[in-house]
Amino acid sequence: MSALATRAAQVGSPPRTPGRMPATVEAIAFAAGFAFLACLPLLVGGSYGRHVLIMAFLYAVIASNWDLSLGYGGIFNFAHLALFGIGVYAYALLTKLVGIEPWTALVLSGFIATAAAVLVTVPILRLKGIFIILVTFGFAQLVMQVILSQSELTGGTQGIVRIPGLTLGDHSMIRDNKFAYFYLALGLLALSTAALRIIVRSRLGAAIVALRDNEDYAVARGLSVARLRLFTMASSAFFTGAAGAFYAAYQRNASIDVFGMSLSTVILSMVLLGGTGTIYGAILASFLLTLFSEAMADFGAWRPMIVAVLIVGVMLAYPAGLAGLVKAAAGHAGRLVRST
Amino acid sequence: MQPLAEIVFGGLFQGSLYAMMGVGLALVWTTIGVFNFAHGALMMLGAYLAWTLTAAGLPLALALPAAILLMGGAGWLLQAGVVRPLIGRPNLVLAVVITTLAAGSLVENGVLQAFGPRSKQLPPLVEGSMTIGPIGVSLHQLAIILATPVVLLALWLFLTRTRLGLALRAVAQNEDSAQLVGLNVAALYGLAFALSASLAGLAGIFIGGYRFMSPAMGGDPLLKALIVVVFGGISSISGPIFAAYLIGFLEAFSNYAFGLYWTPAILFAVLISTLMVRPEGLFAPRMGKLA
Repeated sequence: MSALATRAAQVGSPPRTPGRMPATVEAIAFAAGFAFLACLPLLVGGSYGRHVLIMAFLYAVIASNWDLSLGYGGIFNFAHLALFGIGVYAYALLTKLVGIEPWTALVLSGFIATAAAVLVTVPILRLKGIFIILVTFGFAQLVMQVILSQSELTGGTQGIVRIPGLTLGDHSMIRDNKFAYFYLALGLLALSTAALRIIVRSRLGAAIVALRDNEDYAVARGLSVARLRLFTMASSAFFTGAAGAFYAAYQRNASIDVFGMSLSTVILSMVLLGGTGTIYGAILASFLLTLFSEAMADFGAWRPMIVAVLIVGVMLAYPAGLAGLVKAAAGHAGRLVRST
Repeated sequence: MQPLAEIVFGGLFQGSLYAMMGVGLALVWTTIGVFNFAHGALMMLGAYLAWTLTAAGLPLALALPAAILLMGGAGWLLQAGVVRPLIGRPNLVLAVVITTLAAGSLVENGVLQAFGPRSKQLPPLVEGSMTIGPIGVSLHQLAIILATPVVLLALWLFLTRTRLGLALRAVAQNEDSAQLVGLNVAALYGLAFALSASLAGLAGIFIGGYRFMSPAMGGDPLLKALIVVVFGGISSISGPIFAAYLIGFLEAFSNYAFGLYWTPAILFAVLISTLMVRPEGLFAPRMGKLA
């Protein structure tokens, strides 16, 4: 940036929060980023490569939505993966048992996950910190146990197989090397990310953060803890549930594994590695961790151990996660540019 | 008469195991203010250590204390590796959740690598079985029921009657003041984790003696211990012990009355409704604010 432009920015534009990107700049970067992702099939050939990318997009949707409740809201919600699992089972049951058309079921699953989020928020409205972890953890286990015990509907430990996939007219989306699923997953991620960024940049988003940072003051200024907590949890649930439905349609089976601790741990590490309270950090970490995990497929049983060591290492070395690292690097680069 | 006797015996047995697990979790929570999600993995590690020692030819009477000592070391290591460096961070609770989860996964997969997935079993504490009134019980289970109160009593005496135990409780109550009067807070943190891991290891040896061991065996006991600790209140050591027996009886009764499938759901429903009415736990003094 030239010196003149810098001066003009200092004098002319309204004061802006340090480190906060103007909306137009962010929109351009957002569009460029997703245009790049849309071109990825040109670089990554083959059905397997696209499968890895589809999973990365899915994880990114789950992790970034978790960042809304965990990072921005400061709500230690450990039922987030249960919301995903509810999406998986909602889609499976709606399409197989009720016979609802898959695309409608996909949207409905998002709403069902939202309703479940409201349900789990009610008991935690008055709680804080570790108590929220324990109740939400309990809720996730409760959902799993109910699914296990209703085995005549849900298949119990066997899960549900041959779930109807998604089609576009006569075209089954799994064909042509999963092209259609790739773009659907990308579209889901784009919609979800746009919604999340609009929420966190709005006054509502500022209110959510205010409640996290100084609850007493925020309440004194007239914010409602109950209403905002419900809003935060509900809005983090819709795309998570839809991602679950997408996963069920894509894999064509539903299993109880989605409620397991290992998946929760991996996704949580994506949120924390990415740096909480950024949305983009969680997405970036999802991509990196998925690719990293794939790259280590040869290590077989050692892989979970390497991932565990990596998680601990990053947590100890970079408390602000990858986003903090990027921000620090950007700040450094900015200072370099300004000094020359 | 027989169902009642089985409910009482089952409740006492499950309650003993839950108390053993829960008290270790509570010890770490009250002292350091973090939740150790690797507690289940530590329990499993204790069982495998004891198995290794007995497989090497040691009698259980020697293998058990040796495994418990080793577990104390493992607990101290865990604390030094993934908890201590995070103390003082603003998001301590959450950061420790993730690092202990990761450490637990590391231990679990490490044991899987070292021992393979095939199930193993420890020799029971006491061989044989006997009949008490209308029901037949194994002496191993009876030994657990009788040994647990002794261990818990010893822990209580340690915490209330010895200098070291008092120091531990002082850190739990007020860390800054404890440091001001010259207590070595870092060492006491290590001690809390070491004690907690030893208790978990003992619970693992108990469980490994009557059920097959597998690297994933810690998951369910950890979950039950969490319920117990929340149910009883995490601000004291005695609360979770009462709650452990209460939950044990509730589980035994629910297994009998509603069947095995519905029991976990019923337990969680009870837990969530308890938290809504008394978030500080059943046996804890009322608190003005929950942090």
